[in-house]
Amino acid sequence: MDTGPALVSILRQGSYLIASVHTALDDSQMVRFQQDLIEQIGQHRSRGVIIDVAALDVLDSFGSKTLRNISEMARLRGATTVIVGIQPDVAFAMVALGMSTGSVPTALDLEEGLAYLHDRVHTGPSAVTGSSLS
Amino acid sequence: MSAGQPADALSESGSQSDVAALVPVIRRFVHSRVSNEAVADDIVQETLVRMLAAAGRVEPGMVEPYAIITARNLIASMWKEQERHRRNQHRIVDLRSPESPDEGLLQQEDKGAVAEALERLSERDRRTLMAHEVAGQDTQSLAGELGVTAGAVAAQLNRSRARLRVEYLLALEPGTALTDRCRPVLFALSGGDRRRQREVDAARHLLECDLCEKLSQPLLERGQRSDGEVRIRIRADADIVLARQTAREVAARLEFSRTDLTVIATAVSEIARNVVRFTDGGEVVVELLEEPRRGVRIVARDTGPGIADVEAALVDGYSTYHGLGLGLPGARRLMDEFAVVSEMGRGTTVTMTKWRQEG
Ligand SMILES: [Zn+2]
Repeated sequence: MDTGPALVSILRQGSYLIASVHTALDDSQMVRFQQDLIEQIGQHRSRGVIIDVAALDVLDSFGSKTLRNISEMARLRGATTVIVGIQPDVAFAMVALGMSTGSVPTALDLEEGLAYLHDRVHTGPSAVTGSSLS
Repeated sequence: MSAGQPADALSESGSQSDVAALVPVIRRFVHSRVSNEAVADDIVQETLVRMLAAAGRVEPGMVEPYAIITARNLIASMWKEQERHRRNQHRIVDLRSPESPDEGLLQQEDKGAVAEALERLSERDRRTLMAHEVAGQDTQSLAGELGVTAGAVAAQLNRSRARLRVEYLLALEPGTALTDRCRPVLFALSGGDRRRQREVDAARHLLECDLCEKLSQPLLERGQRSDGEVRIRIRADADIVLARQTAREVAARLEFSRTDLTVIATAVSEIARNVVRFTDGGEVVVELLEEPRRGVRIVARDTGPGIADVEAALVDGYSTYHGLGLGLPGARRLMDEFAVVSEMGRGTTVTMTKWRQEG
């Protein structure tokens, strides 16, 4: 973002965008991330988006809601989103909190996320291999 | 040093302009010993004034050495005064000595404030305190005079010191309006008395009263603060992250599992967000517990509008207090104990505890 080391990086990989969160984000940084990502999806006409949240310390109600928003807005722009890297303890706390990523698919890591997008984006919406955290 | 020239000049006429010729020499001497520019300039001026007054009496050729000796004496007496002041301040008020450039001015202000603060103590408290702190009389002999135990004298001295610190700080804020809650809260903080602080609800008063919040800083800095308690002011988004990371760090001292640490951090994130979104601000206090079991207690206080129906707010989907609908029931599910106390127009206090799973 403005100064210091980047909080988030968004890389373009063909028709995919790979967004990595590098550190804990506060709510306004989370919103900024959402805006930047949606903007780039439009700019590059991306078909798939991978969001790597392995560095997030928690995914509370706001964080989970933001990820769902991103996925929904990306879908409206024709892109499929998959969340990767949710740590087991973070996932546990999300479930205990009563939050989930809802209908947003999740995958273990970047490799699985790419495989998921590859199947879904190229063979149509029926071939869903990722699992949804609920 | 060109010793001869200014001395000759002075001995010839003793006029002011001749004394002025000494300025570079005196300046060099004083500034090499006194780091504070303003104080050094004052000493140079004072030396010159004394040289003028003594001009007729100083032997020719001795003017410059005389000026140097005068300046050195002035510096020495300044140190002595400062040292005495620092010692007294430590003994009676025990506040850090000011280090700002206008130290001299602060010292003046200080003396007035200490005198005013002493005036506000009861006759008995003041006499006992002065006898002990200034005259050096021990508690045993004071106890004999007062007809009480030495322990009672020590307790009285502690109370008096706590009050004196408060009155001293208040004397430095003349013309500030106090509520009737201010003094009891400040006394409790100054004495480091946790039970009394809870009785007068000091934490909430600090959120509501700017004056006490400001004065609490110097009072708490020197009070006995528990290592197992950390306080985070909550005002903006970034404070939510700070609060949950701090809670995680503090709880980690009890070797909670990684999952429990994340659960605690998530719960803190939820309740801290309510403070940022729906109130003017507040605080999150993270405290380690040893009794009845080891655990971590988190208290979030705000000065918000309050929650009309706390029971309803603890149910999922409650929406009149946006966000809390998710925040409170979610945080409650994450923690072992959870309590909400809310007063309309004053604010909300959420207290939640996670116990350490032993074994
Ligand atoms: Zn007050």
